[in-house]
Amino acid sequence: MFVLTSLSFSAMVLFCLAMDKHRKQVLAQKTPTIMVRFFRPTAWLILLFTTYLSVGQFGWSIGIAVLFGALTIASLLLILLLTYRAKIVPQVAVALSLLVSLSLFSG
Amino acid sequence: MKDNFRQSMKWFHTWVGLIVGWILFFMFLTGTLGYFYQEITRWMEPERPFIEHNISNEQLLDIAQVYLSKHAQDIEQWDIMLPNARDQNLRVGWRKPAEPGEKRGKYQKTVIDVNTGDSIESRATGGGRLLYRMHYRLHYLSTKISYWIVGFCSMLMLLAVITGVVIHKKIFTDFFTFRAKKGLLGWLDIHNVLSVIALPFHFMITYSGLLFFLFTYMALSSNLQMSDEEYSEMRKEIFPRTIHLDSAKQPRDMLEISNLYQQVKKTWGADQLSYVEVFAANDINAQARFVRHETDITYNPADAVMVNAITGKLILQIPKAYTVTGMIHNGFFSLHEGQFAGPIARWIYFFTGLIGAAMIASGLILWTTKRKPKQVKQLNGPDFGYRLVEQLNIGTIVGLPIAIAMYFYANRLLPLDMVNRVNWEVNVMFISWAILLLYPAFRPAAKAWREQLQLAALVYMTLPLINILTTDKHIINSVLQQDWALFTFDLTLLVIGVCFAFSAYKYKALTLNKKVTKRRVKQREVTTDEGLFTVRQMNKENA
Repeated sequence: MFVLTSLSFSAMVLFCLAMDKHRKQVLAQKTPTIMVRFFRPTAWLILLFTTYLSVGQFGWSIGIAVLFGALTIASLLLILLLTYRAKIVPQVAVALSLLVSLSLFSG
Repeated sequence: MKDNFRQSMKWFHTWVGLIVGWILFFMFLTGTLGYFYQEITRWMEPERPFIEHNISNEQLLDIAQVYLSKHAQDIEQWDIMLPNARDQNLRVGWRKPAEPGEKRGKYQKTVIDVNTGDSIESRATGGGRLLYRMHYRLHYLSTKISYWIVGFCSMLMLLAVITGVVIHKKIFTDFFTFRAKKGLLGWLDIHNVLSVIALPFHFMITYSGLLFFLFTYMALSSNLQMSDEEYSEMRKEIFPRTIHLDSAKQPRDMLEISNLYQQVKKTWGADQLSYVEVFAANDINAQARFVRHETDITYNPADAVMVNAITGKLILQIPKAYTVTGMIHNGFFSLHEGQFAGPIARWIYFFTGLIGAAMIASGLILWTTKRKPKQVKQLNGPDFGYRLVEQLNIGTIVGLPIAIAMYFYANRLLPLDMVNRVNWEVNVMFISWAILLLYPAFRPAAKAWREQLQLAALVYMTLPLINILTTDKHIINSVLQQDWALFTFDLTLLVIGVCFAFSAYKYKALTLNKKVTKRRVKQREVTTDEGLFTVRQMNKENA
């Protein structure tokens, strides 16, 4: 569940960074346009992977329902961070992804 | 044309939302609490023992079987509910024989103390079940009327969700947009964000909610199109029964249920037993059905294993024959109730439910915020309608949570031997709500908001203290016993209290009003509340 929420969070962060107005909020320096183009496809890939994990863990029916729940919580967290602590969004995303990869590889 | 369409949708969304908003808020909040109804019931029956660590399912089954053989001798069907993440006590249940005039007998559920093997007498309480039943079976109204009211509101909610999507011009570009600004823009963003992030949930919960009383709302269509036989045939298709043998009236001693459980364990592997049903107990036809925690939203035949309780052999079960439509129907029920949800998924349900309630609340506040500048400028002050909406907003959005807290207070403070105690717990809740709905009529809106927020903070933060004073199942003891479910309940009350305190503080910082004698007002509020209870109680006793 933690893994699902964190992955959803990372996907959401990428979706959000793909938009100009939010990228300015979060990142101080300019990002190369090439990189920005990759944000959205990567986000979709992460979402796909999260779905795969969720379905693998809970089965088709519960897995999808749980995924939507995780997405809701992740979006809420991201929106709150964007409004009140926009600068720490990248750090949070990186930290969560590290934790996720740790738990994926160890478990 | 297109803008015209959007304009009319907007008008529709605004007024539909306003008309049923308060009832929907009530339904969402009590329904959300329903995701924890078992946990709430356990908290409301403090006579029940703490969690027992280090006890195996086999031991628990033995204790239950001994108890049932003694106290439910003549009963054919037994249920044994094992302790789980939601309820840490061992419970058994059976349906009593029907009394004359009854369709079927009352279901009796008993909590067993695993140390003594005896049942536990708990105080009379409606518990969490009564609280969550309110969200579709409005307490004081008749079943039929409440189903129709609830259905009407849900239908309008569904329309509000759809029109909301239509009038939200930029769902995806504004997905992450939340400008923490004062006034209209801020509230609009809050409303949008809360609606969009949980949109799948809002749609699912409203739509499936309507399905629940399908046969009430669409009675005309099912009555006209089919005969009674066809109708019962269809019901059987949607709700197939488990097949089991009835008693042959030939007493025979059963094997130990814990023994049978060994068989089941081999089939399942992982140990996730949830409950056991025994059919034709202590009869030659005795069977035991072992059911584990749900692993599928619709139906997984492997979740239940049937064993012959005399020979100990597995009985090959015919899976319930669900049709595709039946599966979809049950899938929606299951999604609505979230019975399959483990602890974390349950908390997510709870939060998304709260997001739903908050969405409705923000929509209601949005209505007044939009009209405020014009209304305040009027010579004779705001219109009656505007003031009424404002008053109902305050009384519902903050008043209802306080009323729910009063339900918990009533559980702890009403005398244990009181007549009709269950009813009075609920009466206390609704009387408090009525007071809080009336109160804003006599105060300026800004003050009423702040005072009720402060009152909410006070009642929620005091509740764990009252628990310490009145029972031994309080927050300190639950830590000592490592009973984390009870601990979480008290902790959640504290957290809710802190949230209310924070919003009251924020509200005060935002409205630049001068300090009023808030403390005195708060105390007066509480004493009038309690005064009313005592007066009513005295009346009751005199009668």
